[in-house]
Amino acid sequence: MASKPGSAPTTYTPTPTRKSRPPIFKDSDVDWVRPDGRGFHQCRPAFFRTGAVNAAAGSAYAEFGNTKVIVSVFGPRESKKAMMYSDVGRLNCNVSYTTFATPVRGQGSDHKEFSSMLHKALEGAIMLETFPKTTVDVFALVLESGGSDIPVVISCASLALADAGIMMYDLVAGVSVSCLGTNLVIDPILEEESCQDGNLMMTCMPSRYEVTQLTVTGEWSSAKMNEAMQLCLDACSKLATIMRSCLKEAASATQD
Amino acid sequence: MVGLSVGEKYFIQGGINQNLRSDGRKRDTYRPIFVETGVIPQANGSARVRIGTTEVIASVKAELGRPSALHPDKGKVAIFVDCSPVAEPTFEGRGGEDLSTELSVALQHCLLGGKSGAGAGIDPSSLVVAEGKVCWDLYIDGLIVSSDGNLLDALGAAIKAALSNTGIPRVHVTAAASGDEQPEVDISDEEFLQFDTSEVPVIVTLTKVGRHYIVDATSEEESQMSSAISFSINRKGHICGLTKRGGSGIDPSVISDMISVAQHISEQLITKLESEISAAEAGEDEL
Amino acid sequence: MGLPNVSGDLSAEMEVDAFRRLFPLRFYERHLADSIRPDARPLGRARDTTMALGAVASADGSALTKIGSTTMLAAIKMEVMTPSTDSPDEGCIAIDFHMPPICSPIVRPGRPAEAAPVVSKQLSDTILSSGMIDLKELSLVSGKAAWMAYLDIYCLDADGALFDCALLSAVAAFSNLQIPVVSLNDDGKIVVVSEEGEEGKLEKEPVNKEKRKLTLRSLPFSLTCILHKNYILADPTAEEESIMETLVTVVLDSSSRLVSFYKPGGPVLAYTSAVQDCVALTRQRVKELQKILDEAVSGMEID
Repeated sequence: MASKPGSAPTTYTPTPTRKSRPPIFKDSDVDWVRPDGRGFHQCRPAFFRTGAVNAAAGSAYAEFGNTKVIVSVFGPRESKKAMMYSDVGRLNCNVSYTTFATPVRGQGSDHKEFSSMLHKALEGAIMLETFPKTTVDVFALVLESGGSDIPVVISCASLALADAGIMMYDLVAGVSVSCLGTNLVIDPILEEESCQDGNLMMTCMPSRYEVTQLTVTGEWSSAKMNEAMQLCLDACSKLATIMRSCLKEAASATQD
Repeated sequence: MVGLSVGEKYFIQGGINQNLRSDGRKRDTYRPIFVETGVIPQANGSARVRIGTTEVIASVKAELGRPSALHPDKGKVAIFVDCSPVAEPTFEGRGGEDLSTELSVALQHCLLGGKSGAGAGIDPSSLVVAEGKVCWDLYIDGLIVSSDGNLLDALGAAIKAALSNTGIPRVHVTAAASGDEQPEVDISDEEFLQFDTSEVPVIVTLTKVGRHYIVDATSEEESQMSSAISFSINRKGHICGLTKRGGSGIDPSVISDMISVAQHISEQLITKLESEISAAEAGEDEL
Repeated sequence: MGLPNVSGDLSAEMEVDAFRRLFPLRFYERHLADSIRPDARPLGRARDTTMALGAVASADGSALTKIGSTTMLAAIKMEVMTPSTDSPDEGCIAIDFHMPPICSPIVRPGRPAEAAPVVSKQLSDTILSSGMIDLKELSLVSGKAAWMAYLDIYCLDADGALFDCALLSAVAAFSNLQIPVVSLNDDGKIVVVSEEGEEGKLEKEPVNKEKRKLTLRSLPFSLTCILHKNYILADPTAEEESIMETLVTVVLDSSSRLVSFYKPGGPVLAYTSAVQDCVALTRQRVKELQKILDEAVSGMEID
């Protein structure tokens, strides 16, 4: 059968014939518009829905523009046999990509660090002592990567945990900011991320006013850093309001 | 894992509260730092750094490669950290894998800058030999020989020292190739290019224990931390990377405080480190 | 099974949920005796089926299908390859079925589900043997370049009848497929012709102007049934599949020809009459599925 060759043939994605990079981003240029027409400090419209996967104890789906993720939570359930006794619960996180998530097929697997970033962002918010000896599994699948993937995964995961009834101090909301030339743009899309000069990703618990995770790349002066942090904090608290109302809606729907 | 009794824990925390740590240091003092360069002869550059009893080795290996299609004008830099079972028995087999991924990713965040290359300690465009055709690929490997806390700072310092020890052979493109062909290159045995490492940032980790934060925590102190933030700061005092460890949240205003403290400490650390590096290089030349 | 009498006695005084968990088979058999299933379906009825085309923007063709709560997301990405010398005028289709850890509590990262490779193989056998796609249509430049269609199907929620849902999503993704317009450049590489403007200086004539959509002939559709004693349960849920283990999958094409038939063992041995019943149920189901697909496709065209 011709369609099942013994050895995988080398294939490539046909790319558009482009002479140079699109000239949307220029260092000194203050007037450029973002590719999707948003303001610099304007987030993409966020959509959340809990209960996306019936087989899971709790789950959530999040859609920010073209970034689409599903997170399922399983447990608390028995820890792996090899694990030692622990009087606090364990959190196990995994983030994976579909092969068609990225513009070039199968590039999503170079995000090994995302699983540990998700773990670090969530562990501070979960009351691990409420499920001793057991493990809560948080699995995320990025269906489509449209930029700012990891903050969306983190927000979605905290919603899925809430849906599963895992006790938390607060919801965790995540937002990232890209530095492009002299400008700060919030909630960057893939195109912007690919040519950013720096990135700041913050996840926080807005009601407790605590930062659970913060990563920065690129060169930042302290003034710029503070500006970016403030932007993220404001956006996180707005995002948390949306997440909260999604939970409330789901709860009132089940009551009816 | 560090096993501590209740008394020991209390002693460590109490000492930090009173600005007198178990080994007699203040909250903002580093342990003595020793640098030795050129420890691995077959690498292009290498260094061993000891901070107290924490010991790490970094090596830089340069190989000729092909730039990626996305960035034809840039070389590639890869950082990988290996945790030796010599340092701690739990690193045996796959035990050190989590830690080594975490450290590798943290170092990549701290040293390689943003996607466009801004803020990178090593300018990737300086690694290009022929645009789109030939470039240097730098493989930076870190090895943990002995682990007693503050691994990230030690690795950062070792990489900085190893880079300043690195000589990359000068390459001449002999025949210009057309189309897709790879051009022929001639690698010189005598002429070496040196890196300008003054822009390579240093990493300062502030570990929060109780209400206070300390620099250069030992592993006993790290076992008592609530969270730790690693700042990568260059000579200009700009932040080039930041990662947080540890579960509990931190108030944003505390983070701003920590940034200014880290900037202050980094100035001293850069001066100290560079004098150590030049002393080590001078020592190596004499031999 | 071992203690039928005990469960019989207890059923009067036990809560329904407890009975369901402790004696699942008894629980089901009691329902089946009344020709009804615990989710209120008659034995031969499939669950509600929905479909959304073009769910993934980064793919060339995609579909999201749901049968009950079993959810599948299929997407096709077209890449270019050099065809083999045996068949210079044919493209290729690579089909992969994934069960990521989100879909079911039994799948853990690093330990893939046992069912995934089985369904994957069944899917590629069925799709390639059904003659739905003429591989010659995937050719671009004879002997030089042809399309490789990567079809990846992700199970987002596993609740039984995985193969049925996966096949449906695969067929839907192929009917949603839009092949990009490409041309051959000077280096012998295939490049995408950008859709908007700049025709004046356009380098080369597109090589596949006419072939933007595949002609799909005789679409395959399937129905999985459980055989248990004399009962035939169509479109089982995960719970039903775990309790009653004899599964029969029938694949028919749109003109009701048999494409493939799977009965991977199981304790129940089927009489030919049971097999005929399964085929009859499938024939009915194919009509339903065809209608759902047609509605989804025409819905897309209006937009």
